[in-house]
Amino acid sequence: MFTRNFRNICRRYSQSVTFRTTETSPVQQNDNQVGLFYTIEKDVCKKLFGHGGLPKSYMKQTKTFTETTLMIRQPALDVIDCIKASDLNKPAIRYVLYGETGTGKSLTLAHLIHYAHDAGFLIVHVPWVSEWLRRVPRHKEMSNSQTREGFVDLPLDAAAWLLHFKTQNQTLLKCGDLKISKDYVWSKREQTSAGAPLAELVEQGISRVKYACDVIDALVYEIKLLSNNKQCKTFVAVDGYNCFFYPMTRLNTPTKKKVKPEEVTLTTTFMELTKNDWTNGVIVLSVDQIAVPEDHQESYLPKYLLYKKGFEHLDPFVPVEVGRYSEKEFLSCASYYRDRLWLRGPEDLETELKLASACNPYKFMELCAPL
Amino acid sequence: MSVFIKYSKPGSLGAVFNVQVLWRFNSTTAESIRKEEDEEFRVLDILKKKDRQQKKQIRRADIQPDRADRMATDQNWGNVWPGPKTFHPSSVPLPIRQGYVPKGQAPPGKKANAELMKIPNFLHLTPPVIKTQCEAIKKYCTEWPKLLNSEETIEKHYPLEIISSDYCHASPTIRNPLARVVNLRIKLSSLNLDKRARDKFLRLIGDRYDEKTDLVTFIADRCPMRKQNLDYVNYLLTACYHESWSVEDWESEKTEEDMEYYDWNNNASKRSLVNWFLKCNNEEKELTDEEYKNFDISKIPNAEGYKNAVNSLMNDGECDATLKTYGSSVRKLLGLPEKKVT
Amino acid sequence: MRNLTNQLLLFKKYIHELNSFRAVIQSRCYSRPTSFPDYFQNPIFRKEDQLKLIENNELSKLASVPIKPPAVYETSSVYHDPLVNKVINHVMEEGKKKLARSLVEKAFENIKRIQIERYHLATTPEQKSKIVLNPKEILHTAIENCKPLLQLTPIKRGGITYQVPGPITEKRSLFLAIKWLLEAANEKERTVHFPEQFAWELLDAANNTGKVVKRKQDLHRQCEANRAYAHYRWQ
Repeated sequence: MFTRNFRNICRRYSQSVTFRTTETSPVQQNDNQVGLFYTIEKDVCKKLFGHGGLPKSYMKQTKTFTETTLMIRQPALDVIDCIKASDLNKPAIRYVLYGETGTGKSLTLAHLIHYAHDAGFLIVHVPWVSEWLRRVPRHKEMSNSQTREGFVDLPLDAAAWLLHFKTQNQTLLKCGDLKISKDYVWSKREQTSAGAPLAELVEQGISRVKYACDVIDALVYEIKLLSNNKQCKTFVAVDGYNCFFYPMTRLNTPTKKKVKPEEVTLTTTFMELTKNDWTNGVIVLSVDQIAVPEDHQESYLPKYLLYKKGFEHLDPFVPVEVGRYSEKEFLSCASYYRDRLWLRGPEDLETELKLASACNPYKFMELCAPL
Repeated sequence: MSVFIKYSKPGSLGAVFNVQVLWRFNSTTAESIRKEEDEEFRVLDILKKKDRQQKKQIRRADIQPDRADRMATDQNWGNVWPGPKTFHPSSVPLPIRQGYVPKGQAPPGKKANAELMKIPNFLHLTPPVIKTQCEAIKKYCTEWPKLLNSEETIEKHYPLEIISSDYCHASPTIRNPLARVVNLRIKLSSLNLDKRARDKFLRLIGDRYDEKTDLVTFIADRCPMRKQNLDYVNYLLTACYHESWSVEDWESEKTEEDMEYYDWNNNASKRSLVNWFLKCNNEEKELTDEEYKNFDISKIPNAEGYKNAVNSLMNDGECDATLKTYGSSVRKLLGLPEKKVT
Repeated sequence: MRNLTNQLLLFKKYIHELNSFRAVIQSRCYSRPTSFPDYFQNPIFRKEDQLKLIENNELSKLASVPIKPPAVYETSSVYHDPLVNKVINHVMEEGKKKLARSLVEKAFENIKRIQIERYHLATTPEQKSKIVLNPKEILHTAIENCKPLLQLTPIKRGGITYQVPGPITEKRSLFLAIKWLLEAANEKERTVHFPEQFAWELLDAANNTGKVVKRKQDLHRQCEANRAYAHYRWQ
């Protein structure tokens, strides 16, 4: 008798748990909505994450759920509050997201990118650094840099990133307010003159893949200059940032020489961007254990993952921990899964899953899959 | 009868014997017949009760009871057993048992027990005896210095401590191999080393230093005699002490990576903080290393907390607590709102 | 027509036996003798079984009886299913149970994704209500649909081996159903992964279509054709 009553109460409770919010703009979200899911509109999602940015397993979920929803969580709100409170005329503040694997660093970053998009920032987003430095398909396009001695270019990756940059900032680039400050001569016939819109520079990089890395270099320089001149405000997001500091990449030059991350032009470019010698910008980085090989995954704390070199490069930064689900977040997530038909069965399931997953979001999702 | 005599040869022994036997035979038969007539009926005594009653223990009347049993309980034991002596059962009024026996049996008692006699005993060293003996030799001792009246003063004036052990045990030899081991203990603070010398001394002695008690311990057991080991530990201490004071050329080449201590003032962290501060105030300046080092951070608000946080993060290692203090100090420095506690 | 009614009768008989089906899977049969003597009882690890014991007041009887420790796969977890365990054990090769488990779970995940997609594609509520979303339910119906009711045994008479039809035990038919499903799932292109193929096979079998159900029907047809030899079973 008691158990039946208890079950009824549970059922009623689980149905009454609200897990959705209609507040779709991250600019408006506040602490009352912690643990609730909000939907990203389809066209915005395609614009921001069409060329990567969301984890693969999450993309699969969005397909099954027929919508892209993100949970509003404390770390993202925390960073948004900080961005709102900070003075943009001061040097750019670096935020470092850290946490165990599967706690949602990348999704927090995605949430922040959505915020930046809504708040009108120019977004410079690197979806996953290891894609450049550690993933080596059979034919990785590599070439020695023309402009800088002893450096290695990754033209295809660079061009793909430029495309990503273009789609993410299409509205800002279309306005044409952003102009280039100086002439760039690529070859005898090709050059981008001063005063041309920024979009032209990006187009140049996409159409002439050979110069893509140099274009990114120029682009970063211009973005910093534009931000300093208060023509735009910039939001830099890099996922798996600590990969830049792992002593070796998996790349090999054609002469079978191992490449260090410092010898890749893209690394130096983004190092330049993550310095705090420019204003009107926000830099959000995430450090991830799985961005580096297994021999350096003992801890998830930022100093360990960034090495001393990376720590000194970023210092002073604001560490933001992305933790496991709290009680409330777990319940709301479970009821969301139930709503999306992902989770079925008796109410006791939640207690067991909570114990088995230890409130780790990714683990929870995985455990729900075969049920 | 006459027939027998007639035919016997005189002078032959055998013949005589035969004759006698025969004669006796004849006579006994005659006698037995006569006894049967006058004696009573003999009872067949199978259990031989009569013989048993007859056996009587014969005791000597002049044997004294055991001396141990007769001793007074309040006697002066020191007088009974004044010096080292082999065990004697009658002198020791104790129910001692000693010896190896199969399981379940009691060990043999003290009388005629070789086991007890083999081992050296300390029956002459009872506490009251020792006390009296100490009293007796007290007049030859010098007085304890009056100023050494507390542990601290003793430690101050005699910081060196030598520990060795003597062993008493049952074995054919009185020497124990462990008796040669010599421990030397000294407080590191009593050596009065400066910072560099202390660092070098610690590196020289390795794990012989205990941080909790501040004690340096040398243990020597490599020589066969205690005297040699004692000399050796003294030599070790002296050598390490003097070696730690000497400065080698290569010691000046020590860099940041070799130091186990992170000094914020000459590190990149301070440089980036100063740069950030200058940038905030729109001052563009190129500073030299020396200027960076000597930059006064009290001008920067909340910089002191930040400095401490970085120091603890670097020196105490990275953990949740140090990272949290680092985060909150950075937020204070940059003027950001505190993290909300959920 | 008569054959069909015959089969139906047989089928009813087997439905009746379904209740004993649970016992078939849950009983522990060891190929080798265990370290426990025979008087050790099997553990009762499901909460509902324990509740039943308490209701029938049989718990006190068990209190003094020695009981084997439960195996790792015998849990009181909410999502414990003896049939799923059985399938996992059939998928397992060389004792790599973790791998086998992950493969079966991935297959379940695929089934679930396919079914949810269908659910969202369905327009009317009636169609939606028809779609089974629970992958375990699909596995159960799939195996039920694949179980043969008759079997052929080779019997030698007069120098000729006849394929003689006969009844099949519950255990054997379960074994054949799982075996056929796995064989069908392993007949695939090299580029297709096992979980995907297995998911498709299960869905097909649950729909009463596909390779495995056809194989079952072939067997039944063969039995029907060899009806004339049936007397060899006892002659």
